[in-house]
Amino acid sequence: MSEMITLTELIEEFQDVDDKMERLEMVFELSEEVDFLETEHWNELTRVRGCQSEAHVVVSIENDLVKLKAGADSKLVQGLMGILTIALRGISPSEALELTPDFASEMGVLNSLSPSRSNGFRNMFDKVMNEIQNKM
Amino acid sequence: MREQFPILQREVNGYPLVYFDNAATTQKPQVVIDAMNDYYTNSNANVHRAVHTLAGEATDGYEACRTTLKDRFNAPKVIITGGTTEAINLVAHAWGKANLSPGDAVVLTEMEHHSDIVPWQMLAKELDIELRYVPVQQDFTLDMEIFEASLDGAKLVCVVHISNVLGVCNPVDKIISLAKQNGARVLLDAAQSVPHQSIDFQKMGADFMAFSAHKMCGPTGIGALLVSDDAFEQMQPFMGGGDMIETVSIHGSTYQTNEHKFEAGTPKIAEAIGWNAALEWMEQIDLDSEHSRLLELARWLSQQLRDMGMTVYGRHDDDDAAVVSFLHPTMNSEDLAHLLDARGFAVRTGHHCAQPLLERLKITGTVRASLYFYNSKEEVENFVKQLSDILERFS
Repeated sequence: MSEMITLTELIEEFQDVDDKMERLEMVFELSEEVDFLETEHWNELTRVRGCQSEAHVVVSIENDLVKLKAGADSKLVQGLMGILTIALRGISPSEALELTPDFASEMGVLNSLSPSRSNGFRNMFDKVMNEIQNKM
Repeated sequence: MREQFPILQREVNGYPLVYFDNAATTQKPQVVIDAMNDYYTNSNANVHRAVHTLAGEATDGYEACRTTLKDRFNAPKVIITGGTTEAINLVAHAWGKANLSPGDAVVLTEMEHHSDIVPWQMLAKELDIELRYVPVQQDFTLDMEIFEASLDGAKLVCVVHISNVLGVCNPVDKIISLAKQNGARVLLDAAQSVPHQSIDFQKMGADFMAFSAHKMCGPTGIGALLVSDDAFEQMQPFMGGGDMIETVSIHGSTYQTNEHKFEAGTPKIAEAIGWNAALEWMEQIDLDSEHSRLLELARWLSQQLRDMGMTVYGRHDDDDAAVVSFLHPTMNSEDLAHLLDARGFAVRTGHHCAQPLLERLKITGTVRASLYFYNSKEEVENFVKQLSDILERFS
């Protein structure tokens, strides 16, 4: 995947793939998109609750742009964080708050995951949105 | 045999289903599905009270399950429950509350499923009883010296027959013998052993034995508590309602004296009929030879996994079950399970409802492949091949 892929392009790429293994491989690769939050910064405040894996996010706003740092002990979860990173790339806090988690469903990526992982993604999305709201 | 299990004919993600999550639940042969379907189609009625034909058929079907269980396990009393968990909770409430006093001790092990820990922790809070946990050693066995020492003053020993995580079979004959010498009753969690072993309950000498139908090709939502005659006499009714009473007036009630005393409300009729069909179906299985076959497959799989750099948690001694728990040194176990699912393999990940055991092993979860009658050597070989491909591609 290209370095600066957009969310729309990403959705199309996923929609073109039928094989579950290939989809998972794409999610794995998206883990590289994440600005990694080092494990020493993981704490109860950064933890995504309701996620079976260790998943942590920190949101900041710099020059009216949303910045996400994230990390997980699972590559798949970190790949989901990569998808969220792409969704938030280059957008302002107010634009970010207009996002819904539907893009992940559109990609079909949640269908490839267990219900607990899908819920974990939604929890992560909600936590990020709450943090953006609080920082505005 | 496989053709008798309709679900095994399906594909998952474009690949033939390979079901290796049998320690969680087993698949159902067509005869079980047919028996339950036939009950709902032709005989659906409530049991025990009405005199009409359908009620008679339903009652016969329900009680036939109890009779089959009594015969199969040589058990004097069989209380039909909602499963192993409910059976253990029944012991805690019906026997524990009537026979345990503040300061009494109950012996548990670190190998127990949460179902055999949490009810006792709840009871300990309520009755101020002491819980003593027998540790698991590095070789995945119970520390029998500590077990023996923990028996002093103990009123009840609760022990898992076969670990759902490790497949390790505990020395229950010795455990029961030592417990009896010390005057303690014994509750055996047999959820993982009953599907693989022939067990003579009275000969074994335990007071209670709990297990579930769904781990032995029967339906979900039903299980049994086998009880010795003298322990049964010490049990007090736990749940009140229909079917468990003899008479009811506004001044009070009297209770049934048999197992119905502990089966309040409309019971699991269709499930009992389905379970009975599963038990009869299992009669054709040579459990000993199947156990040997599956254990050999588990040993081979374990070695292959070790050769791939995995850590395998278990030993696979002669009496152990064909459960293979393992971890890759770097790949997250749930990630691995997702990737295996993409190739049609159903395995379990997580803490397997045995967190104290995993804490002792200093891990938070494993990938678990558990085998049953319908699993073949070809499936296990294919599992190793696909796993190897996945690791090459992703790790």
